Amino acid sequence: MKTFKLELRLALHSRLASGALVLLLVLAALAVWSGLHAVGQQREALVRIAAVQRADVAAVAHKYRDGGEAGYAAYSTPHLTDRPPAPLAFAAFGQRDLQPFALRVRLLGLQAQLYESESINPELAAAGRFDFAFVLVYLAPLFVIALMHDLVAGEREAGRLRLVHALPVPGARLWRRRIALRFGLVLAVLVLPLLCGAASAGVAPGDALLVAGVTALYLAFWFGVAAAVAAGMRTSAGGAAVLLAVFVVLTLVLPTLVNGAIGRAVPVSKGAELALAQRQAVHTAWDRPKEETMTKFFRTHPEWRGTPPLTAQFQWKWYYAMHQAGDDAVAGQVDDYRTALTAREDWTGHSGWLLPSVAVQAVLHRLADTDLRAHMGYLERIGAFHRQLRAYFYPYIFNERPFGPAEFAGLPRWERAAGVGTVALDALVALALLAALAAGAGAAALRRVRP
Amino acid sequence: MSAATMPRVAGAAGWASVAWIVCRAEWRALRRSAVAVTASLLLLALTLVATLVSHEQMRAVEAERAHLQHEADEQWNAQPDRHPHRVVHYGHYIFRPVSPLAFFDFGVDPYTGHTLYLEGHRQNSANFSEAGQSSLLLRFGQLTPAFVVQTLTPLVIAFLAFGSVTRERERGQLRLLVAQGLPGTALLAGKLASHAAVALLLAAPALAALAAIGLLQPAVRGHALWMMAGYAAYVVLWALAAVLVSAAAPRARDALLALVGCWIVTVILLPRVLPDVAASQVPRPSRIETEVAIHREAAALGDSHDPDDPHFAEFRRKVLAKYGVTRVEDLPVNYGGLLIEEGERLTSALFVRHMHEEFARQEAQAGIVAAAQLASPVLALRRLSNALAGSDRASHERFLLEGEAYRYRMVQALNRLHVNQVRYQGDRDQRIGSHFWRELPRFVHERIGLAVIVERHVRPALAVFALWLAALVGGAWWLARRLERSPR
Repeated sequence: MKTFKLELRLALHSRLASGALVLLLVLAALAVWSGLHAVGQQREALVRIAAVQRADVAAVAHKYRDGGEAGYAAYSTPHLTDRPPAPLAFAAFGQRDLQPFALRVRLLGLQAQLYESESINPELAAAGRFDFAFVLVYLAPLFVIALMHDLVAGEREAGRLRLVHALPVPGARLWRRRIALRFGLVLAVLVLPLLCGAASAGVAPGDALLVAGVTALYLAFWFGVAAAVAAGMRTSAGGAAVLLAVFVVLTLVLPTLVNGAIGRAVPVSKGAELALAQRQAVHTAWDRPKEETMTKFFRTHPEWRGTPPLTAQFQWKWYYAMHQAGDDAVAGQVDDYRTALTAREDWTGHSGWLLPSVAVQAVLHRLADTDLRAHMGYLERIGAFHRQLRAYFYPYIFNERPFGPAEFAGLPRWERAAGVGTVALDALVALALLAALAAGAGAAALRRVRP
Repeated sequence: MSAATMPRVAGAAGWASVAWIVCRAEWRALRRSAVAVTASLLLLALTLVATLVSHEQMRAVEAERAHLQHEADEQWNAQPDRHPHRVVHYGHYIFRPVSPLAFFDFGVDPYTGHTLYLEGHRQNSANFSEAGQSSLLLRFGQLTPAFVVQTLTPLVIAFLAFGSVTRERERGQLRLLVAQGLPGTALLAGKLASHAAVALLLAAPALAALAAIGLLQPAVRGHALWMMAGYAAYVVLWALAAVLVSAAAPRARDALLALVGCWIVTVILLPRVLPDVAASQVPRPSRIETEVAIHREAAALGDSHDPDDPHFAEFRRKVLAKYGVTRVEDLPVNYGGLLIEEGERLTSALFVRHMHEEFARQEAQAGIVAAAQLASPVLALRRLSNALAGSDRASHERFLLEGEAYRYRMVQALNRLHVNQVRYQGDRDQRIGSHFWRELPRFVHERIGLAVIVERHVRPALAVFALWLAALVGGAWWLARRLERSPR
């Protein structure tokens, strides 16, 4: 205990070390606060959107106080779907600043409505968010480097290395104690603000602990690497240079290279192609005989075959059959598009097996439900809701039943799902392995240090 | 540098020759340092890879967009005879073309949708941005020449230069040199010159890529030249700052620490923190809120389906008076088409107004970030670079505005056909020949002129660099005098 206190005093006595720790604490707190603020802004926006939506629906409902056509009601009623941020979103904001977190759909062709983009300021989005994930992945390693680069060389340069090795305690144990102390301090200044934020955001304790665990693993990786380099370097400047090079390569260069490679391997122009194809499928139907569209529709929806036949003039059943047939026509392309997006996510996950920075991001964003997969899940839920709407409206439209206020009041409602993050187990295991490897390498290198 | 090689200093020519000797000695020291040579070679290789890869990537993107545009145009032309209002709803797709310099700096391009669907009465968002379809890896940045020069080069420069003066101070050579009559200004000038030259060498592949594009594409020659000037000024700035920090610091490790700290704050931290500050300072409505607001305002302007609506009653009175008839059935033109045309005029004005309001909010946010340019020159460089590469927010906004203007012209041309080619009686059941819309003009994207970019983005950025240069040169002079007085 006494040696621990002495070491602590020694570590904090250095202006650089104590300054770095305070700065990291401030940055982590700032990031947590900024993330909480951003999440709060999205929640407020959702409240405003819900109010706007209520007014819109009330106006449409007012028209049906004496009953009317179901087809027109379906045409003119927007349905709000939304995706509120999961409690942990503040720590890893992910794509929530890019993707729409609320979309309104009508009974028309779904594929023409799903890909509307949120109004973003691209300049701000391009810079990326200042959240806990950023502080952990990009800034924490730099602080580790600042604290560790002169671990051995600093003693040598000060002429104390011989003395250190002459101590009754074996050298390796001394280094381990010093590193453990610094590790604990860095972990504490990162995790304390995080846990405060998690408590105020209502994050499940298990999830908060998992984030703390990921933080510890990522730090262990960097402390291991830093120890391995510091043990082998003659000068502290050399140690700093090599460590910074490792940092730049692992967090700045390789991920961007991998991203470029994935972009090339899995192109997603399919999105725009899908939109073109869907438009074509729907609009050519206007110029074709109506029976043709109905036949196509009945092939996939035989349950409406026996309903009253079409008459000469415009009829809603034909209109919705046309939209449905348009969606059905591009079903294959929709699958291709989703497959391409999933493939991008998968390859990113695989690169996390080698790149701890990517693994950390993958675990955090999956847990916070803010990655591309989360958005795709949202789109799928909108698809299910759209099916529910069709199932509700079609009996009125195809059987030509009147649509009154009671029917209007019974419209299906969007079930808000609290964002459910999952544990990206493979990335977590990879991170643990990488951390163990680095820590082992560090320990082995320190054992070889000679005065 | 050994004291034996020191000439006695006499006059300006002597000063210059001393500075030159210092400069050459510094190069020799760098050449001998394995770390310096390895770091430089790695950076050069990375720049080369970045240039080739991003050039290839942009070519692929451009080919993709050209292909999609062609497909959309074909579909447009292949429409059968239709009622013009069906064509209004069929709509058209336009794809934003890529600027020839975009390969150098993707800018906000991956974050903006490049697909615009143009139809009547509606304003659609630009969809299918690369970032919206990418994994989180994209947020690590993209390997473009701009990324390498903006982000990585300053770090390498710092590593090459942090010991330039402190090394000699730590070895005690500095005191010896000054005692021999070496002017401090000549010493610093030599060190500054050597590291500025090295910095330019590090940026050389990127600058060469710009020069090559400038030679191959005369249309962007001016852009490429300004960009080269901006990047050159930026790396020289870092070289000067690094040497000065080295001259001011008592020990090499302090100089390194200070420089890496500057790099973290100005290149990594501030560019991330400021956007968050801006986003919370200037709130913006979500897309749905804007849509509903436009919808409400449009409803307040008038309802063309309501026979008692004041705006459209007045409109009908004017139309009837113009043609000197009393019933819309007697008009020589299709009154239904006129109504739609008038409605489009009203809603389109709303769209444009809301677009400008949204752009103003984004500009206010950008202003907050730009206010920190002086503290973080990389922000100034990014503005300059994105604007010249045609991948900045202004270029995207121009695409959106031009897209809206084109949408309006296209829809109104179709509504004109509705007015003149379709009879009022039995309006819905008529079709007109497809040649009418095949002859409509196509969308042509005009880029922002170089003069405007220079005025708005290049000059302010260069002014920031000039201020920094002035401050650094002033600092250098002061430090040189201090060196002469107390070389320790």
